[in-house]
Amino acid sequence: MNVGDLLDARVLGPDGAALGVVVDVRLALEVVDEPEGGPGAGEDREEAGHDAPLSAHARRDAVGGARLVGLLVGPRGAGSFHGYERTDVRSPWPIPQLVRRRHRGTFLVRWEDVASVEADPAADPSADDAKPRLRLAPGYDELPAGLG
Amino acid sequence: MTSDARERIVDARLHLLGRQVLDADGEPVGAVDDLALAGPEGAGAEAGREAHIDAILVGPVLATRLFGGRVPDSRLPRIAWDDVGHVGTAVELTVPSDRLDAVWVERWVRDRLIARIPGGRHDPEAEE
Amino acid sequence: MKKLLAAALGILTAIGGFVDIGDLVTNAVVGSRFGMSLAWVVVLGVVGIVLFASMSGRVAAVSGRATFEIIRERLGPRAAGANLLASFAINLLTLTAEVGGIALALHLASSVEPRLWIPVAALAVWLVLWRVKFQVMENVAGLMGLLLVGFAIALFQLGPDWGELLRQAVPPSPPGTEHPASYWYYAVALFGAAMTPYEVFFFSSGAVEERWTAKDLGTNRLNVLLGFPLGGLLSLAIAACAAVVLLPAGIEVSSLSQIVLPVAQAGGVLLLAVVVLGIVAATFGAALETALSSGYTLAQYLGWSWGKFRRPARAARFHLTMIVALLLAAGILMTSVDPVAVTEMSVVFSAVALPLTYVPILVVANDPGYMGEHVNGRVVNALGTVYLVIVVVAAVAAIPLMIATGAGS
Repeated sequence: MNVGDLLDARVLGPDGAALGVVVDVRLALEVVDEPEGGPGAGEDREEAGHDAPLSAHARRDAVGGARLVGLLVGPRGAGSFHGYERTDVRSPWPIPQLVRRRHRGTFLVRWEDVASVEADPAADPSADDAKPRLRLAPGYDELPAGLG
Repeated sequence: MTSDARERIVDARLHLLGRQVLDADGEPVGAVDDLALAGPEGAGAEAGREAHIDAILVGPVLATRLFGGRVPDSRLPRIAWDDVGHVGTAVELTVPSDRLDAVWVERWVRDRLIARIPGGRHDPEAEE
Repeated sequence: MKKLLAAALGILTAIGGFVDIGDLVTNAVVGSRFGMSLAWVVVLGVVGIVLFASMSGRVAAVSGRATFEIIRERLGPRAAGANLLASFAINLLTLTAEVGGIALALHLASSVEPRLWIPVAALAVWLVLWRVKFQVMENVAGLMGLLLVGFAIALFQLGPDWGELLRQAVPPSPPGTEHPASYWYYAVALFGAAMTPYEVFFFSSGAVEERWTAKDLGTNRLNVLLGFPLGGLLSLAIAACAAVVLLPAGIEVSSLSQIVLPVAQAGGVLLLAVVVLGIVAATFGAALETALSSGYTLAQYLGWSWGKFRRPARAARFHLTMIVALLLAAGILMTSVDPVAVTEMSVVFSAVALPLTYVPILVVANDPGYMGEHVNGRVVNALGTVYLVIVVVAAVAAIPLMIATGAGS
């Protein structure tokens, strides 16, 4: 299973009611400590002087494993500007406001609350890129979607 | 951003898909086209069961995400997630690209065409 | 002293690099038909390109990611792929126009048929891309392009009625003989000529190529802030020359020889030679930038290795793309299409394609995930939103105006 298979898949509640589609897949990246004096360690980069390329200041974490946390379910497909509504960026007016409006009602479900990932009977079975259909377990939680 | 300092919460589409992959020397390798999931101990990922990112897929997946269709999983050039060192505005690997299968087209164009044109290996920044 | 010299060099390069075949042709056509009544669009376009170029340069320098990498990340593969197709096609059209411009200018200088110059021009562009250092390439083309100041000299020698030129410009009063739709069509074309997307691909990729530091960012902001407006003055001088000589004579510009007619009339052979040399340099510089942009856009979208700072063999597909783009441009020109007509097309379609690059850059320039503390300030964002509206209106209006006016005729 790939992340791309889950994206845009239809999501059903335990009773079979349509809840929306998967607009994104949330992951937790394990942040590991840089080896002492390693290239680009967080604190070292603070000292990168006036003559260092600016890009050396950009946020960049040494990471270990990437755990699947859950799925973001929205009322409609992601469209362009994937995920923009989940950040707290407010400018430039009016783009964030429009994107946020379009994605109102997006929520997070934990991966543990996904009961099944199965072939979608509504999709054309002959299409080889048929998206699966997801069903949530009884008692699933709708968590806030924000990244904050 | 996260309350737990040991974890950074990201969304695949927002923070990973489409990002530039750089090798250990900072050379571009490709773009993140998809992420393969796996369960514990090499098993396949299953609904509701613990799962993690196993590999980055680069290359032809882009065509399938553009035009539809599927490439058999075994045919996709994949980079093990274990080879990922840093995640920032790009995904940085801890291995040099020469060891990756993902860059064979670049190698082919280089060896068959570009390197054969006189000056193809000339360093443009070198003083003459 | 050395610092001052370096700063001056940067500004002069920006001035010389501002004008390309699109600006030349569009300003001359507009001057010969509408006088100075569209001068306000040049001002609008210059402020826009200053804003856009400095923003994309800052995004690239801070995030380390050039424009098309950002478009791919932000829009996803499908929307970004459509964007790439449109941007690449229009950039190819612009490249074709620039290579054609070199050939036409060399034809003026030598009276050897332009079709013989096309392969020579394309080959010369490729050789520079293949061999010459990025910085040298940029500075030489920019400085030689300064020779276009000959248009300003010609204007003074023509001794025009300055009051009359000013009256045409403020408030804008289009000549009664022209249809309003034509007036607005050329307004869009002029806007597209000043704010061409390739300048942004080039500028942002250059910031990555040269690994800009905070200091570089400041220097380059200054270069753009001073250089582009002065380059805009050159554009206005070209339009004014046409307004003074060609408009009263009823000559509508359709060839490069007509564009330089006022120069020949005012300054004779010597000034003409200077200006023609300037045109060769300006179009050559722009051909380099557009050829590079074709490589930048495709390589960045597909995640390939790119950049002139690498040995060609270390960015093989990037160099292959530029070779193919140049071959295509030369091939299109060899079918004996009129480069001036190609140019007029390219500036209008540039206006159509502009939101495709402008919007993602504006969005990312506000995203602390990429920019950290270097996100847009309030003033830049207020301007950014104003231009968002202008850019979208121009893009939406371009095609209907083109159809309604029969491409301005």
